[in-house]
Amino acid sequence: MPTEPLLTAEDLHLSFGPTTALESASVQVHAGEILALMGPSGSGKSTLLHCLAGILTPDTGRVTYAGRDLTALHDDERSALRRSEFGFVFQFGQLVPELSCLENVALPLRLGGASRRAALRSAEAWLERLEVSDVAHKRPGQASGGQGQRVAVARALVTRPKVVFADEPTGALDSLNGERVMQLFVAAARDTGAAVVLVTHEPRVAAYSDHEAVVRDGRVRSQEYVR
Amino acid sequence: MRRIADLALGVRLSVGGGRSGWARLALIAVGIGLGVAMLLVAASIPTVLEARTTRADARAVPWEQELTPGEPTVLAQEVKSSFRDLPVVGQLLQPEGDDAPLPPGVTEQLAPGDLVLSPALADLLASDDAAALQGRWGERTVGTIGAEGLTGPKELRFYLGTDELDADSARRIQSFGETEGSAEGLGPVLLLLALVGMVVLLLPVAIFISTAVRFGSENRDRRLAALRLVGADVGTTRRVAAGETLAGAAGGLVVGALLFLAIGRTVAYAVPAGMGFYPQDVRPVPALVALIVVLVPATTVLVTLSALKQVLVEPLGVVRRSSERRRRLGWRLVVPVVGLALLTPLLGGLDTSVGSQVMVVAGLILVLVGVALILPWLVESTVHRLGGGGVAWDLAVRRLQLDSGTAVRSVSGIAVSVAGLIAVQGLVGAIGTASHWAQADTSTFQVTVLETDEDVAPAETWERELSSAEGVTGVAAVTTVWAGPLPSQAGQSVSSDEMPIYIGTCEVLAQEARLESCDDGDAFVLVPDGATAPAPGSAYLLGAGQDTRWTLPASAETVGPAPGTVAAMGGASAQILVTPGALGGLDVEPEGMTVYVALDPAVPDAADHLRTAAAQVDPVAYESPIAPERTTMILGNVREALLVGTVALLVLIGASMLVNVTEQLRERRQLLAVLAAFGTRRRTLGGSVLFQIAVPMALGLALAVVTGSVLTLALQAAVGASPAFDWRTIGMTSGAAAVVVLLTTAGSLPLLWRLTRPAGLRNE
Repeated sequence: MPTEPLLTAEDLHLSFGPTTALESASVQVHAGEILALMGPSGSGKSTLLHCLAGILTPDTGRVTYAGRDLTALHDDERSALRRSEFGFVFQFGQLVPELSCLENVALPLRLGGASRRAALRSAEAWLERLEVSDVAHKRPGQASGGQGQRVAVARALVTRPKVVFADEPTGALDSLNGERVMQLFVAAARDTGAAVVLVTHEPRVAAYSDHEAVVRDGRVRSQEYVR
Repeated sequence: MRRIADLALGVRLSVGGGRSGWARLALIAVGIGLGVAMLLVAASIPTVLEARTTRADARAVPWEQELTPGEPTVLAQEVKSSFRDLPVVGQLLQPEGDDAPLPPGVTEQLAPGDLVLSPALADLLASDDAAALQGRWGERTVGTIGAEGLTGPKELRFYLGTDELDADSARRIQSFGETEGSAEGLGPVLLLLALVGMVVLLLPVAIFISTAVRFGSENRDRRLAALRLVGADVGTTRRVAAGETLAGAAGGLVVGALLFLAIGRTVAYAVPAGMGFYPQDVRPVPALVALIVVLVPATTVLVTLSALKQVLVEPLGVVRRSSERRRRLGWRLVVPVVGLALLTPLLGGLDTSVGSQVMVVAGLILVLVGVALILPWLVESTVHRLGGGGVAWDLAVRRLQLDSGTAVRSVSGIAVSVAGLIAVQGLVGAIGTASHWAQADTSTFQVTVLETDEDVAPAETWERELSSAEGVTGVAAVTTVWAGPLPSQAGQSVSSDEMPIYIGTCEVLAQEARLESCDDGDAFVLVPDGATAPAPGSAYLLGAGQDTRWTLPASAETVGPAPGTVAAMGGASAQILVTPGALGGLDVEPEGMTVYVALDPAVPDAADHLRTAAAQVDPVAYESPIAPERTTMILGNVREALLVGTVALLVLIGASMLVNVTEQLRERRQLLAVLAAFGTRRRTLGGSVLFQIAVPMALGLALAVVTGSVLTLALQAAVGASPAFDWRTIGMTSGAAAVVVLLTTAGSLPLLWRLTRPAGLRNE
């Protein structure tokens, strides 16, 4: 393992009103690693993922990405970072319903300034790689749940991000589809060298990770290598 | 019973949905309420007009009144004046006894020189702005006209006591009030304009109400799906939906009534002065209120049930039926085509028969409804042809391709009102250009002062007094005397009828006729179409006493009328124009006086200084421009009312668009948060919202301009005007609509920024 972690959370505290979501939470992930954040519903694992991605800012503590303190960055800088270096996969895909699957995948590239043609060409390649070329010109609503989630994975990886954040990526899929999505997701992420922060409460999904951190009541109880 | 229970369940669901449920109900209630308020205002127009008419009738001076011997009388003569563009009307009163009748709102007999003013005229005279009005009717103000003697709080009116009236020049009456109605009836053109105006203003309100009912319909459809899951059949879900809508409609009626009360108190002070009325007159006609109370909820239920036909509410969710089914143009064209067919009689001119009016109104409604019907097809087929652009453009176009109905519903109200407004403005403009006055020559003189009093002041007095007025650069009087027939004499041509003789310099006579050449001593015979020309050499008796004999010189040239004159319009009798030298030194007593006046356009209020100077010679002398404004005062008022109505509509529709956009953004908040998580720039999302509103709006305006222009052509043909488009109006209304788009977008941005915080993901 490389000595310097790519992404580190140190002693994060975050409250929503009277509810404490994170309390002294710390994790780290190295480039190319897959970290699974495990825990029951409401334990704070999604909140921790959002803090790591610069979506939420902790009340106290520090999130460091490639030596840069995310908590000290301006909102616009964090947005630019998410656009260029991070990718996201959500439980329900959260694809833009009006755009075709191909256009959905091309969207992050176009947001980053790529030309329409170049973005669509890259998107086509990623859809092929994730074995969903057949839905390229369909709208998300016309694809199955598994296909939609693979499109979402393609969208997360199309910019070749350094880190992919996946929040229950198979939570809405049956086990067969879930397995296939995880296989393709992990294979593609490893090919691109992206680190993955994976939120799940399913051991079957966590088994794809290099190491696990268990979150309970806002605290990270342990982070250990599983491989 | 079960049906009522279903409706009641719908009502309970609409008020029991927690904060979001209440928010939806409030949106619907406010939306419908705005429409209901507009309808109530429209329903109050008859009452307002009736109240105005009643008060105007009560103060009217009857033309002919049978006088009871021994009863006190008053002599009255009307004075029509103006200050700038505002009409100022008054009466000269000469009481013939202490118990002489008083007009409504006046409590004491007026001595000569006593002045009683309406509050608005008193305020105007007291302001620094009205120097040109000071002293026009004297300075001795002894009171204020009460509300019962005025049509509205802004009316400029006065009564002036005098001792110079007689029964020849004034009317002798024993009571004020005209029982048979003093208000002028609307001519066919104005009637057409009023009908078009009502259609134009009320149709978008109906569209707006139908739009408001659909606020939050996606949430409602999901609720209905949940009901289906627990066993409700399709009929039950439809009744529950109707119940939900009825709750919104009831709320809308309450909100509308409250808004109407607020509007009623303020609108009386906001309308133009010539149309003023008192706030207490704003009372809707009970029958129309009953119609509104019944029809608005019924319409909203119909709209809801019709909208439900577009979706399939299944136990596991809602399927939109229309997403894959393209809209068809064919049946949508039928409505406006039938409307145009109904308007074709207009091409042959105006007809005031009831049947013709019904056809015109039905035709206008169908053509304007056609805009609302064609627009969804136009937007759908256009957005499906739109190519790619930036991310914001793509997001907007794809959204419109998926569902353009919501955006179109908002825009259709604006499109209908702009189409109607263009037609009305085109008609108003056409009426102005069709007027012969517009062709009058104003290069030398711009206004005339007309005296028709029995006791006409000499031309020298008029010229002297008016010349001294500020801003007057030239004055020339035309004296009128009447020429009567001469008893037949052997060997001499004999005149048959009375005809006017106008006496003036060549310069001023050129205002009346086309004179090729003119010198002092010349005489001309002006023969309009259809009139009989007097023979040169005919002899006449001149003046009121018919005691001065004069012969039309044999050299008198026959000339045509000058453009823009009464004679040019045909139907007038023959006239004789003579220069002073042609009278051969005869001294005739003037029977009428028209003073042509040149004004310096650089002097502010020059026309008002002139009116004030003219009032000193004769208070009832009437000043008018040689080429009046393109529209008459009534036309101007109708146009102003339409503009006020259109602005109100634009605000109303802008508010509904904002509500629609807000609702859509709330529905898509998770997606927006995801896009923000990807690092999507705010300007990209803001641009997307703008394009989603602007594309349908641009298409709607284009359709409105085409439809409005077609209607303009039909209406212009009806009034006999040559086809012309009022590009300024088209530009202004389109520009105003564009401003509404921008303001709506700007108004939605704060919510968009709030929803696009990536922290919104936390709600998943």
